[in-house]
Amino acid sequence: MNKLLRISALGALLAAALPSFAQNAAPAPAAPAAAPAAAAPAAPASLAGTVPNDAGVGHSGGKAAMCIGCHGIPGYQMAFPHVYHVPMIAGQNEKYIENALKAYKSGERKHPTMHSIASSLSDADIAELAAYYGAPAAAPAGGK
Amino acid sequence: MTKTLSLLAAVAALAFTTSAYAGGDAVRGKQKAEQVCAACHATNGDWKKPLQPEYPTLAGQHADYIITALNEYKRGDKSMIGRKNPIMAGQAASLTATEIQDLAAFFSELEGNLHVKR
Repeated sequence: MNKLLRISALGALLAAALPSFAQNAAPAPAAPAAAPAAAAPAAPASLAGTVPNDAGVGHSGGKAAMCIGCHGIPGYQMAFPHVYHVPMIAGQNEKYIENALKAYKSGERKHPTMHSIASSLSDADIAELAAYYGAPAAAPAGGK
Repeated sequence: MTKTLSLLAAVAALAFTTSAYAGGDAVRGKQKAEQVCAACHATNGDWKKPLQPEYPTLAGQHADYIITALNEYKRGDKSMIGRKNPIMAGQAASLTATEIQDLAAFFSELEGNLHVKR
């Protein structure tokens, strides 16, 4: 009996833990609406809402919320398979970010965490995130 | 008092460990990087500008991430964690563990445009 209780408690814990992950992985309910050109910029970047794109065109549709839990925290470290800093992705080449996410999705890059996150992203999501974090391909010479 | 002191010592030791990560030698790393990495990850010696847009910038990236990534390229996609990339597999395969640490030290100390953004 005691054992049964413990097992069901464990089950409940798991059940409680899983949805929060699934929530992360599931596409956001609100499809990224065609952003009106002038309406978005005033909105502050927030966890739940839309994150204004640097380029001022479109937005990440809130998908960046999946990234900032790790990539938005200075000094954040991954603990599997060993402890190391997650890469800084802001300012990285846009095309590289896009390819990396697609490779995580396809399994060319094998990484359980990134695979599950990338698998929930459409090609359009990936392009938007790459644009949000990435630097333009042709940065002006000498520009910081 | 002693306790506070030893705590301080522990914190100081920790700080030292993180800054001198894995003991890579940035000077040796620079030599190696100029031989094998610069052709793609820089343009005319400028590490902020990889040759092609699909190649990542390495300048200023975390040293331990660079070490992790190079080892993932070495492993390929045969294990639970790894990367399949024909170009980088060949490059990483030729590097020793020490060379990888040296490269990581060099790249992480370079000034770059990578940063954390929410």
